[in-house]
Amino acid sequence: MIFLIHYNRSAGEIIKLKEFEESQRVQAEDARIKMELDLIGKKDGDEVCLLEAGSIEALKRTHRRYFESLRMLTVSGSNTIASATKP
Amino acid sequence: MVQASKTQIDRLGDRLRKGPVERSDLLLLDGYRRSFGPAYESVVQTIRDELELEPSGRPAKSTNSLVEKLKRESIRLTQVQDIAGCRVVVPDILEQNRVVGLLLSGAFPEACVVDRREKPSYGYRAVHVIVEISGKPVEIQVRTTFQHIWAEISEKYADLYGSDIKYGRGPQEIRRILEEVSALIGKYEDLEEGLGQEAESVKLRDKMNKIRKDLAEILDEEISRVDNIRGKG
Repeated sequence: MIFLIHYNRSAGEIIKLKEFEESQRVQAEDARIKMELDLIGKKDGDEVCLLEAGSIEALKRTHRRYFESLRMLTVSGSNTIASATKP
Repeated sequence: MVQASKTQIDRLGDRLRKGPVERSDLLLLDGYRRSFGPAYESVVQTIRDELELEPSGRPAKSTNSLVEKLKRESIRLTQVQDIAGCRVVVPDILEQNRVVGLLLSGAFPEACVVDRREKPSYGYRAVHVIVEISGKPVEIQVRTTFQHIWAEISEKYADLYGSDIKYGRGPQEIRRILEEVSALIGKYEDLEEGLGQEAESVKLRDKMNKIRKDLAEILDEEISRVDNIRGKG
């Protein structure tokens, strides 16, 4: 899956997320440039990116910052580290 | 589509560095970024087929990140090595070593390695394997779970407080926490690499458990601090 994300960095939040099949790469790239052109000169803090992963769940594991607040990231980080015991 | 020359792309980089970003420059940049598509797809497919891993990918670096990099570093646009890239997160440093080894021994023997564990970049730890296909570099980030936790928190701080934080500038308290956590992760993973030698394993595990406890405590303190910063959580 390909994911087009309009993310506002200063708010730390996703404004828009659109999904494409892997076979729709060109359409996804077209949608990205259209979104970027529409945002020219509008406001700061906006990031437009195309990301790709097997599923939205996989993307949420490898690119968590787009989906989680600073607090959520820190809490889950602490929990993961605390429970990471070695066999 | 006619492909822009190296000179045209580097001039584009100069204009992006100076700003503001114009419509015609965005269109030219779009064409340049798309030219990395075949190399990117080939790398991702090879990782899937040969390593049986499912990387997540970023077919092209975002305009903001690219402009920030051009402003930060005296680098030409055609020299940027992470226009296209993908990421693999593995459980621990032993698996990280194994995956990097497989990438270099089988899939991409000509690749170049940037080991940010030996020399962290302002606390950032990972191994980057840079593969070049038909003149187009593609960066494969291989991170452990702990390195990834640090990187995600650092990125989020950069979103909220400015990307300077990732490069050793910005609010001192945040930098101190990130540096402290990164150093502890480095110590933990150094010990982890020694696991397997039976005689030392019990001692190593005790030391590792102590570091994990310290790390979790620092992050828990940070949660309290975040709770006190209204609107930044």
